[in-house]
Amino acid sequence: MFQNRAEALALALPAAIFAAVVFLLPVAILLSEGFRSDGAWTLAAYTDFFSQTLNRTVFFRTFRLGLEVTAVSAIIGYAAAFAIVNLPPKGKGRMIGLVTLPLMISPVARTYAWIVILGRTGIVNEAITGLGLSAEPLRLLFTETAVFIGLLQLFLPLMILSLISALENMPKDAIAAARVLGANWFQVFWKVILPLTREGLVVGGTLVFTGSLTAYITPAILGGSKVLMLETLMYQQVSVANNFVSASVIAFILIVMSFAANILLKRLATARNRR
Amino acid sequence: MSIRLLSPVVLFLLLVFLIGPFLIIIAASLSAGDTLAFPPQGLSLRWVAKVFTIDSFRDSFAMSMFLAVFGTLAALILGIPAAYALARYRLPGSETVRTVVSLPIIVPGIIVGLALLRYLVVPFGFNITLALFFAHTALVLPYAVRVVSASLGNLRSDIEEAAVLLGSSRLGAFFRVVMPNIRGGILAAFILGFVTSFNQVPVSLFLSGPGVRTLPIDMLGYMETTYDPSIAALSALLAFLSIGIVFLAERFLGFSRYV
Repeated sequence: MFQNRAEALALALPAAIFAAVVFLLPVAILLSEGFRSDGAWTLAAYTDFFSQTLNRTVFFRTFRLGLEVTAVSAIIGYAAAFAIVNLPPKGKGRMIGLVTLPLMISPVARTYAWIVILGRTGIVNEAITGLGLSAEPLRLLFTETAVFIGLLQLFLPLMILSLISALENMPKDAIAAARVLGANWFQVFWKVILPLTREGLVVGGTLVFTGSLTAYITPAILGGSKVLMLETLMYQQVSVANNFVSASVIAFILIVMSFAANILLKRLATARNRR
Repeated sequence: MSIRLLSPVVLFLLLVFLIGPFLIIIAASLSAGDTLAFPPQGLSLRWVAKVFTIDSFRDSFAMSMFLAVFGTLAALILGIPAAYALARYRLPGSETVRTVVSLPIIVPGIIVGLALLRYLVVPFGFNITLALFFAHTALVLPYAVRVVSASLGNLRSDIEEAAVLLGSSRLGAFFRVVMPNIRGGILAAFILGFVTSFNQVPVSLFLSGPGVRTLPIDMLGYMETTYDPSIAALSALLAFLSIGIVFLAERFLGFSRYV
């Protein structure tokens, strides 16, 4: 440890000042805009925002989709991570590579693939009409289900990777010991695996939940104006309605939700561990 | 025992869900037909070729490349000294510094883009390209600080103290002793920053103007008006580009150790 305070500040301050001026300050002004009207502080913009049915629908939909995607990715994530951890080393490395791969690909490209799959002339519809299950192609795009599938595919790798490292850090013989002592697989999961991997689940859950809350590309491409989420609503408010106050309200809601999720889940992880 | 049998099924379904769409994109982009369809109507490279003839894609690709390369370099120039100060100095308010430089990762990008548009571009006539450059630098800064910090954490600090005791200047010790040892971490931070910036959409949504647009934003716009396989072809090309970069990085420096 070096003690020279001036030197330390000279090294650290450019980055901190840059982030404060380019990032913190403009964002803070933007957020304050939603609380001000005619030079006075007020919550009018917020009551206004929540008094409109569309806004409430979008708010609850965003929240609900976030929860659904997180829950489903946790279930699939455990099954997948457990299968991957138990592979021989070479296969394990390859599978981890294949799970990581989508994270490097542009989300626009990844989401676009679902148009090819779910579109009017997409694979699913071709199969349905080909098999005679329906005379007309079904409307699969621009539904909440499409957005859900897109988000799940986008964020599932984050959950799997968090759970893989959690499972690897678990004592190797804990599961075998529980089995020998007569626990069934359900008990093994509930009493052994879950408590021992809770932190990994929380890390993965935070990433997936905040990622889904603040997603733009997926609802924009797969939901369109029919299935708005908070970020696509915010974009619409600015570019179509020119309503910056409403945009500021949405920005504040997004930030509060992300921070709350971070704090809450972190607390959940430590509280459970103390027991 | 049933769990052992279930594993291959789980893994197969997982790969179909995660990698399948990407394979479908490749197949769709090789179609000879006029509209997006799967299975493709005949095979051809005409849509792949068409991507290169669309002027706006060329311009926005150049813009995205510029932002990803120079935004990440700027973030490293700011981030390496900050990471070094956080790792090696007793710094007053070091927690505040750490929080401020890592905030851009938590706050949604769309908010940053809108804030810069509202309070920098509109009132001061600030150049949009420059605003985009700042936004992308801020976005990559947390990754730069985090990866370089991790790299510094793995390096014993007594070797640079030894260099200083042996008569090297502090700066000389940094460049001759520390830098060669954290080179891998810096390169990893660069690649991570590059990919993050290149694929970033929300931060650039509001920061576009005549002739100034990043590639993903351009793709979103094109998608709304045209329903042909050229976006699939471009998506496939971009995916190969990312995979190629990450593959080379993994091959030559074990990228995944750092991330």
